Amino acid sequence: MSASDFARAALLNPRVTVCVGSGGVGKTTVAAALALEAARRGRRVLVLTIDPARRLADALGVAALGNQPEALPNAALAALGVPPQGSLCALMLDMKRTFDDLVERFAETPETRARILENPIYQHISEALAGSIEYSAMEKVYELDEQRAYDLIVVDTPPSQHALDFLEAPQRLLEFLDSRIVHMLIHPAFVAGRIGFRVFQRGARRVLKLLERVTGIGFLEDVSEFLLAFEGMSEGFRERAGGVRALLLGRDTAFVLVAGAGRDSVQQALQLRTRLAGFGTSLAGVLVNRVRIWPGGGSPPELAGAQDSLGALAAALATSEGADFPAQAAAQAALDAAAGYAAFARRDARETAALRDVIEKQGSYWGAIPELADDVHDLAGLARIAHAIFASEGDGGREAPHAGEPHARTVPD
Amino acid sequence: MTPPPPASLLERRLVIVTGKGGTGKTTVAAALGVAAASRGRRVLLVEVGRDEQIPSLFEAGSPPAGYAGREVHPGVTTMRIDPFEALGEYLALQLGLSAPVELVLRNRAFRQLMEAAPGWRELITLGKVWHLEQMQASPGRARFDLIVVDAPATGHGVTFLSAPRVVVSAVQTGPLRRHAAQVEALVEDPVRTALLPVTLAEELPVRETEELVRKLRNDVGITVDRVVVNAVLPRPFPAGLEDLDTRLRRLPEATPLGALPAPSVLAACAAHLRTRWELHERWARTLAESIGLPCVRLPYLRDGVEDPASLAVLGAALLADLPTETT
Repeated sequence: MSASDFARAALLNPRVTVCVGSGGVGKTTVAAALALEAARRGRRVLVLTIDPARRLADALGVAALGNQPEALPNAALAALGVPPQGSLCALMLDMKRTFDDLVERFAETPETRARILENPIYQHISEALAGSIEYSAMEKVYELDEQRAYDLIVVDTPPSQHALDFLEAPQRLLEFLDSRIVHMLIHPAFVAGRIGFRVFQRGARRVLKLLERVTGIGFLEDVSEFLLAFEGMSEGFRERAGGVRALLLGRDTAFVLVAGAGRDSVQQALQLRTRLAGFGTSLAGVLVNRVRIWPGGGSPPELAGAQDSLGALAAALATSEGADFPAQAAAQAALDAAAGYAAFARRDARETAALRDVIEKQGSYWGAIPELADDVHDLAGLARIAHAIFASEGDGGREAPHAGEPHARTVPD
Repeated sequence: MTPPPPASLLERRLVIVTGKGGTGKTTVAAALGVAAASRGRRVLLVEVGRDEQIPSLFEAGSPPAGYAGREVHPGVTTMRIDPFEALGEYLALQLGLSAPVELVLRNRAFRQLMEAAPGWRELITLGKVWHLEQMQASPGRARFDLIVVDAPATGHGVTFLSAPRVVVSAVQTGPLRRHAAQVEALVEDPVRTALLPVTLAEELPVRETEELVRKLRNDVGITVDRVVVNAVLPRPFPAGLEDLDTRLRRLPEATPLGALPAPSVLAACAAHLRTRWELHERWARTLAESIGLPCVRLPYLRDGVEDPASLAVLGAALLADLPTETT
């Protein structure tokens, strides 16, 4: 096994693989393809998706929002080379319900539970507290991981502008619950005497009063009420959030950064990589999705001198297609298409070079997934993506699901 | 009765550009700005996200413009509305003094409280947009002829736009209600304001755009009169040669073609371009049929969009596609 193969295997080795990336890069597809590949290697796999395309959701059997794992039929999996011991389940996350479940678990009494669930602040908090939607996805992962029913959980993170909010969310929620202003609201007497706080308190009261006057909403009352109810359960919640964080930052979790080949997407991926490193997460690799790769491998040729060879192509086309076929125009169109595609391939290689360099230097896996001609919307399509990522590994003899499809380019050894 | 043709985007005061991540909505917003400026309009581009993207579209590595804004191209100013700065400005205006407001807004605990408070970011951001729309360069002459807002990705986009309406229906009296009503009046004004959804001709963004248009028709009274389909691939071969890749595939692989790639490689290139083009055509048609609105197609630019010249190409296509667009 080469160093590159080894690095690639790390995409599937942990208990949890988290796919991160900015919107529109195909995280869901890549997550599902990684999950399918792990199942083909005989593992029991769950893929947790957030917002799949309708046809992909249908293919995964998660069209209904059940918030429970649905197993894919064995026959369909066997047809794609999944051995009997392997399995693949899919779950489409209902984020609101996951957050509600959390409250139900930690609320001490039914009254507390009702007070929280009916509080207007709670109604908004999962949307308003940036990242708590994302957090509920990770909460679900933690719950499923604890059940130990799966060897691997592949997570497709929510489409969010701040793609890593879910990593910050537990901390932010805890900080909010611990913050001085919260205590001031719950127990005004507790902090009222502290020196240095008075100035702030005076100012804060003034602004909050103003907000109330301007808004005409009993905002402070709602917040106090919510926090009082939440206080009783915050210990259990705190412990749980700590557990989620430990799982995400621990050895059993690997992050896979999914990027597109365009300039913006690469820029965002570089930023994400830096932020992931800041959190102390382990980056298994980067998969650049939908890269235009020159058919047959290698660098795309410069076709500037090929104009002189058009006669040969036109003659060959005239021979095979007959005299009525506009062979000259067809030859020119074929050259234009090849030159056009070569320009795409060169552009994608150029735009991703900086990202590739950074990733290779840090010893993580870098792979380019070729753009398939058609949308991926079924299991066979996922198998083709999985094949493109993993095919060049030394596991010869496995049938290519779609002959002629270029393989993912790997780091040269 | 046929509906009247959509008014030119240039006749608007406020165009709110929205779309799923990766559709290029920021590029479209900037392109509209460049095109409007080239027709003599003074344009303000507004970003609302955490990281500014517009300045670097005009010049690579160019620093953020921030809340104060900066002219990045003749006639095009860009800025980012930070909700906390906008809140500070608003409260200072309401209170008449800024020192205590500053003190409180900089407080970490207060910011944490505000992080959890629902809806205010959207409201204050739109409030600032309203304020900018009202600004005058001289009496009777608006500071900006056209304000283009690069709105949050769809989904959030609807929440963003319905904030004033929610406040107006929830709050009975007071200055906030009055201000929110003014903002709502601007957002829902069918003459001054239009929403411009941007999509790609691919399944996911098309489905999401259909959903967005449906939601907007029901929930928010904002005008949508066209949709932008971005980065549409051109027809790959001349008419009559649609099956070029099939014919290339029939050639013996050993055919000597000189400096040209082998027949299978030529066929693969041709097949790829044809299938991607067919896919784009199919989804662009699906979208146009399902939403019943004009779809403005912007070409895929092979060399990317990263300077004012390419923005101008897209901007011209954005305004040229509808026959009613005139300068």
